[in-house]
Amino acid sequence: MTATTVTPEQAAFLAKKKAKKLSRRNREEADGELGMTSLMDIVSIIVVYLLKSYASDPVVINPTAGQQIPMSSADASLQDGLPVFVSPRGLTFQDRKVATLTEDGKVDPGLVEAHLIGPLFDAFAEEVDRAQAMAARRGTEWKGQVILVGDQRIPFDTIVDVMYTAGRAGITSYSFCVIRNS
Amino acid sequence: MPRKKNDKALEGEVKANMLPVMNIMFLLIPALLMAMEFASMAAINVSPPKFTDTPSNTPPPEKPPKQLDLKVVIHDDGFELSAKGEEIAKADAWIALANPRGERLDYDRYDYRALEARAKLYKQAFPEEIAVKVSAEGDVPMQALISTMEALAGSTCKIGPTIHKGEVPPDDCLFWQPVVEGQGA
Repeated sequence: MTATTVTPEQAAFLAKKKAKKLSRRNREEADGELGMTSLMDIVSIIVVYLLKSYASDPVVINPTAGQQIPMSSADASLQDGLPVFVSPRGLTFQDRKVATLTEDGKVDPGLVEAHLIGPLFDAFAEEVDRAQAMAARRGTEWKGQVILVGDQRIPFDTIVDVMYTAGRAGITSYSFCVIRNS
Repeated sequence: MPRKKNDKALEGEVKANMLPVMNIMFLLIPALLMAMEFASMAAINVSPPKFTDTPSNTPPPEKPPKQLDLKVVIHDDGFELSAKGEEIAKADAWIALANPRGERLDYDRYDYRALEARAKLYKQAFPEEIAVKVSAEGDVPMQALISTMEALAGSTCKIGPTIHKGEVPPDDCLFWQPVVEGQGA
């Protein structure tokens, strides 16, 4: 085994390295400043983009999970109304699941009687009473409109049942929510 | 008194405090995300099913001397057309599927082009008519119903800007007021 010999050049290099290390350790820490300009640029761009895609419709429709809203080239904007979500999983009104659908997309037969969906009628009637009382207090006329946010796959029978139930609860205007074809 | 050039150097560099602005910006982002429209939504206004006992808000249009009273029934195997105001020949009363092999959820299996062409002919004969009754078999999917309404209204019909102002719709709009009818109504 041979002992390692250090040449004078190497010794000088190591000494210089050590001195550098020491001076770095003794140096006072400078105040670190975060560069805000680039962050501001990014955030401003995001805010402008979001403002452009801001929904200006009176009703914001957030489809339920797995719901496939029908597509259409219709261009009439959504008017204020009560959205009722009809997905293959069930009927949702005011964030509450009011009825379940069978595998073939029809309303659970135990909940329907001559096109009238019992739990949905109760939910509609409650909302209509509340809206009418509010309109009376304001001295305005209440125009009930239901927005049927359906699914491409649901059968016609279910649509008719929902519309009939809304009609029985005193809602007189209907519209189908669709995704605009580009 | 004019200021000396050296005074400028004495003035420290002024930096705007961006932190409050950033705070507002970061609060704006989730607020805007909540109200963001991921897909552009539109509405198709429909009249209630005939058997609904509550009257519609929209006043019925004044009846012209002769009405077409067009009705389209969507069957599993095609469209059936009927009209009270005009006799439709048996051959014209049926529009078969464009793709007979298509499954129930193949929404493009219906011949919407032929339906639109037929609707154009009726519109020429009855230019004042805007309403059409639409009915379907119980299993017909909603997308087929929407596409049928679209074909009857005219695929190029842009009624959005005019419909809420009470203006006359453009000429390429055919039967843009659908009335949904339940089977057996």
